[in-house]
Amino acid sequence: MTSAERIAGVEEGVASVPILDLKGVGKRFAGIVALEGIDLELRSGEVLGLLGANGSGKSTLSRIIAGETRADQGRVLIAGRALTRASPRVAAGLGVVIAHQHPSLPPHLPVWESLFLGAEICTTGGFIDRRRARRDAIDILSWLGARVDPDALAGSLTAAGQQWVEIARAVSRKPRLLILDEPSAAMTGPEVAALFTSVRRLTAEGVGIIFISHRLHEVEELCGRIVVLRNGHHAGSWSTRGRLDVPRILQLMSGDREVRERTAPGQTLGESAVGDPVVGEALLEVSGLTSGTAVRGASLTLRRGEVLGIAGLQGQGQEELLEAIAACRPFEQGTLRVGGTEVRPRCPRDMIRRGICLVPNDRHRQGLFVDGDVGSNLGYVAVAADRRPWRLPPRALAAFVRTTIERLSIKTRGPRQAVDTLSGGNQQKIVVGKWLSIPFDVILLSDPTKGVDIHARTEIYELVQDLVAADRAAIVYASDVHELLLHCSRILVMYEGRITADLAGAAMNEDRIAAASFGQPAMDVVS
Amino acid sequence: MTPATSLKQNGLVPVLGMSAVIVAVNAWLQPSFFDASSIASNLASLAPLILVSVAQAIVILNRELDLSMGAGVSLLNCLLASFAPYSLGGVPGQLAATLGVALLLGATNGVLVAVLGLPSLIATFATSALWFGGALAIMPQPGGAVGEAIGDAYYATVAGVPVPLLVIAGAMALWMLVSRHRVGRWIVVTGSSPAAVFQAGISLIRVRLGAYLLAWFFVFLSAVAISAQTLSGDARLAQSYTLGSIAACVIGGISLRGGKGSPWGALLGAVVLGVIGNVIYFAGIPSSWQEFTKGLIVVGALGFIVFEQRTAR
Repeated sequence: MTSAERIAGVEEGVASVPILDLKGVGKRFAGIVALEGIDLELRSGEVLGLLGANGSGKSTLSRIIAGETRADQGRVLIAGRALTRASPRVAAGLGVVIAHQHPSLPPHLPVWESLFLGAEICTTGGFIDRRRARRDAIDILSWLGARVDPDALAGSLTAAGQQWVEIARAVSRKPRLLILDEPSAAMTGPEVAALFTSVRRLTAEGVGIIFISHRLHEVEELCGRIVVLRNGHHAGSWSTRGRLDVPRILQLMSGDREVRERTAPGQTLGESAVGDPVVGEALLEVSGLTSGTAVRGASLTLRRGEVLGIAGLQGQGQEELLEAIAACRPFEQGTLRVGGTEVRPRCPRDMIRRGICLVPNDRHRQGLFVDGDVGSNLGYVAVAADRRPWRLPPRALAAFVRTTIERLSIKTRGPRQAVDTLSGGNQQKIVVGKWLSIPFDVILLSDPTKGVDIHARTEIYELVQDLVAADRAAIVYASDVHELLLHCSRILVMYEGRITADLAGAAMNEDRIAAASFGQPAMDVVS
Repeated sequence: MTPATSLKQNGLVPVLGMSAVIVAVNAWLQPSFFDASSIASNLASLAPLILVSVAQAIVILNRELDLSMGAGVSLLNCLLASFAPYSLGGVPGQLAATLGVALLLGATNGVLVAVLGLPSLIATFATSALWFGGALAIMPQPGGAVGEAIGDAYYATVAGVPVPLLVIAGAMALWMLVSRHRVGRWIVVTGSSPAAVFQAGISLIRVRLGAYLLAWFFVFLSAVAISAQTLSGDARLAQSYTLGSIAACVIGGISLRGGKGSPWGALLGAVVLGVIGNVIYFAGIPSSWQEFTKGLIVVGALGFIVFEQRTAR
């Protein structure tokens, strides 16, 4: 029995009222069921894992509990008191705080100030007590183990940094129930470890946690109980006792669909499911690439038939490396050879013509025209690449859109559906799929499975394998090492803007990657 | 945070350089520039544009605009000039009534933008026509008389310090006080990210309304300052202030997307715009080319800002 459970037990003696008690909660958007008949209880000191594919209702449920939207049916009791209004302020007053997956922090506000936005630390009369607020912010950040500069502007932080600020903001409100919506999505191994330590310390103090994640091994490690949602309905729940029945969960999440995910817990990570690749000549040779302060002399070689993974801690220049190769950011120093010829990357259009295309990191800002529909998002590369776009036959374009929707099994009502109504996984398939309209040799994917459910993840990697099998090559940066180990034939580790390890075969394992992620050649890793 | 990074984060570096250059040029062309009387008269004529620019800065930092400020200054000026002498208990009562009307105008803009959710560009363009129409109704022809006590007080000195300087200093002190208050922070942070402010459980309606009300207090000060100089009413008096104040904000490094910048920048931007007029006059440029030259300098100033932002990255 952990200390958390003991303390929770003591607390139950005092007040046996659960922190959260949902009965028959339902919600519709424009007549479409988002949630229906959800019953849920959560007690002090408990960590509940909330699982489900994208669009299963996890976000809607957590937004209802946090008072951001109102349930149409059922009741929400927080520590025995009903939450009747959609008001984050009222919910916070009852003790519920949510740390959002995509935090919206004011970009021009220093970290220490954004922590207390709306709950300012003030002297009498409402004037902000800058010194005390800054000190408290530093205390909370270091308590969490977050390495974030308290004076940095929130807009200058990496995605992981912003996530830490969002979590610190939530924790600073001293919640009784804390909802963590994919807190680890942008984090790498050591950061996740620090997060888990903090979560355990919170539960030891009696805080109840709802933990949402797509990474099953994290849920397995952290959660005492899990609830699976499917299409807005309760599909099952278990006590985990440190082990998950992964195939069963995947089956529940997907309904009757065949489970194709290869992350079985019995499988030794590192024994890649990828067969020995037939590696051909060098397609891409990067040497001494420097771009801004993020990439400082990175070198790599990509061969035909390879899926090359890039690992490392968050913010070591992985995104920027891929963007510089695609000429989406300045290629300041170093050389680039494409198929043996030296090239000076000038603009993305130039690199696309040379057969190099990028699936960028930020799907919403860089990958999609979010106001557009499925057809235009799939088709615009074809239109832009054609030297005579006015001659492009619409029928051929429509046929391409149709076949791509089918080939990538994009779940959509048709080419006219607005992309922002699709789930994250289907959006990402479109970002990848648009490149299929033109010939290319190399596809660069920057964290392609961020916010994507397990089935769509597998499908995206299968698509990448198909592309590579057809004599191309791919570079994948992913923040989840397990994904890279499963799907890549070789893994490079980036540290402070440089490639510090090139791992293949037996050397391609979690320990070696972790060591190199800290800039250490040896295997001595802080666990 | 060091003062240098603070200047940089608030976008004040280019405007500091620009105002130094333009003041130096003016002093070179006009050797008497730094005489006490010359400083006092320059401050007196600059104060109204400075004050309305600070007002505009508050609204722009909140990620809105106010195109009705020029017409508002004119309306308040006509109102002040239309009071019968000694009505409303004399000058203090007249000023209080004018302040009340100013806050009413600000509240109207605030309600249209914050409560009804109209785009501020359109809403305040519409109200600018209302204010102008109102000013014309009060004063179809320029005329009337502003209480002479206002003019006398404006050109007086307190312990050797000219009153316009005191007014500007008082206005900036008020802003500094407000900006250290949580409501003042919310005004600026709303400009940076309305979504974050909303999610933090803060009422956007109240913050936006507060921004307009605060801004229109400064508009009131501007109207009093210009009335003290003209001592009469004119419905077209301050037409150029609307775009002038926006230009001052932009020159002062305030982002039109809100959240970034400081009213100090607007103050300096207004100084640049005001002193340009002097420079052109003392440089002996023919009057028919004065506006053109002014335009060139403003375009050059904007180019300088863009250049600075590019190299800062």
